Amino acid sequence: MEYVLHIGIMLSIYVILVLSTNLTVGMANLLTMCQAAFYGVGAYIGTFFLMQYNLPFVVVALAVMLATGLTSLLVSFASVNLKGDYFILGTLGFQMIVYTILYNWIDVTRGPYGISGIPSIQILGIGSLEEIYSYFFLALMLAVLVALIFSQLQRSPYGRILKAIRQDELSAQSLGRNTTRLKTWAFFISAAFAGLAGLLYASYVSYIDPTSFTLNESIFIITALFIGGIGSRVWGPIVGAAVVVILPELLRFVGLPDAVAASLRQVIYGVVLIVLMFLRPQGLLGNAKLK
Amino acid sequence: MIGQFLINGIITGILYSLLAIGFALVYNTAKLFHIAAAAIYVFAAYMFYLFAVTFGLPLIVAALIAVVLTMGLSWLTDGLVYRPLQKRKASNNVAMIASIGMMTVIVNLLAMFFGTETKVIGRTLQNNYVFGNIIITASQMWQFVAGTVMLLLFLLFIGLTTWGIRFRALSADSMLYETLGYDKTKTRNVVFLMSGAFIAIASCLTVYDVGLDPYMGMNVLINALVAMIIGGVGRFGVCILGGLVLGIMQSLTVWQFSSNWQNAVTFLLLLILLFLRPQGIAGYKQRTI
Repeated sequence: MEYVLHIGIMLSIYVILVLSTNLTVGMANLLTMCQAAFYGVGAYIGTFFLMQYNLPFVVVALAVMLATGLTSLLVSFASVNLKGDYFILGTLGFQMIVYTILYNWIDVTRGPYGISGIPSIQILGIGSLEEIYSYFFLALMLAVLVALIFSQLQRSPYGRILKAIRQDELSAQSLGRNTTRLKTWAFFISAAFAGLAGLLYASYVSYIDPTSFTLNESIFIITALFIGGIGSRVWGPIVGAAVVVILPELLRFVGLPDAVAASLRQVIYGVVLIVLMFLRPQGLLGNAKLK
Repeated sequence: MIGQFLINGIITGILYSLLAIGFALVYNTAKLFHIAAAAIYVFAAYMFYLFAVTFGLPLIVAALIAVVLTMGLSWLTDGLVYRPLQKRKASNNVAMIASIGMMTVIVNLLAMFFGTETKVIGRTLQNNYVFGNIIITASQMWQFVAGTVMLLLFLLFIGLTTWGIRFRALSADSMLYETLGYDKTKTRNVVFLMSGAFIAIASCLTVYDVGLDPYMGMNVLINALVAMIIGGVGRFGVCILGGLVLGIMQSLTVWQFSSNWQNAVTFLLLLILLFLRPQGIAGYKQRTI
């Protein structure tokens, strides 16, 4: 039972991550390669708050989201107006910088040793979440909440303008929309929710180190998004997250050695990605064409 | 001291230049963000390892076989994935996602066959050449000589030969190139074969010195990308300029701060460059930027 709950928690975390990526990639047509960087920034800042102060969860979550969102300004300032490949390069660069800092600034992040003993989350009126099932409900509730937020966001005027930018940025500009500001906001919101996922991850696993937040993790999140489908309201990202979280667990029952199984599932993701680009470039449930 | 660091930087820069040329060949002509190049680099390294260590062939022979096989793989990535995708009018970003897929597949297949631990090809102790107070190891000497020869050959090729002119024409305007009656597919085949060769040469020269593991490709590729951007996008020869600037700068970072911060400095430079001068030092200004 605990095993199923563990998968449920990881699934919730990835649902939040992939949903947040869908806002930038699927809605604003910004193919970002640094989602894992924001995930990591959220995890480290969340750890800082959890270890320093005994604050209630809502406060910590909001603080982490704000801080991660502000971090996103660093990269969007330099690169949000770059087109196509240049934007990818800019975000790649940011991802590498964040990883290098997490790895090397040992005084603050403890570098490759990682931070262990992260306290669990405090909820007002309930106390700290020690039991795995209470943690599962929190993660599940947050995932559902985030899904609802993104669903509403896409239907809102803001979401419609993003859609317009995706379809034709010049037209949107000519109608008087400040596309730079709108895309910066999309980036901000996306980063904030990735930070929330990082906070959940850090407090659940209670140990973090930089290797969880590499470029490969960013690519992994993008893979999940494209398998599920870009631009769809919420079901695409949820299905994508479910595939990448549950498939490895299924492979576990086949009984392959661990090292081979890890590589094999990556091979499967890769093949799925290539086949999808041929047959359904928008992903299984997607409805947006990637430009 | 600074002389030693400059020499180290130049040699690293030569290796970056080779790889950057391998990437730029595809990027400029086929307009593809060829992330699978990272996996092609790793493939070359493992083929080199397979023939040099497992089968015990002489290093030169093993390297030549690795280069030929890698050229084949590079050609296959185009024939099996990129070209069919472009025939379906897929956008460049779609091709890039497929490229990520290919990278994942190739790297992890290699990991399944060869294991994920680091492998070593070269001997641990190497002869040194001493020039005054500068010391160059034997493998660095190889990298310097072979790399410089390849780069000079490439400059001659791209500047003077018919095929070089075709490459430049294709990268300037692929539509016009086809309209004037040149076979784009044929040129692309040559482009991918050459790209594979340059990536493989860079790979063999590097891994003899530092060893290999399946996941090393991405980091190396990103450095090559930065080298290409610094030099200037849309041109071929200036990759060498970018590679040398990057190599020397990284080496000076190691000298002044520590090797840990090498990557951070590199990408900070990249972000600043993208912000101020996205076309690079000597690139053409493009409308799409």
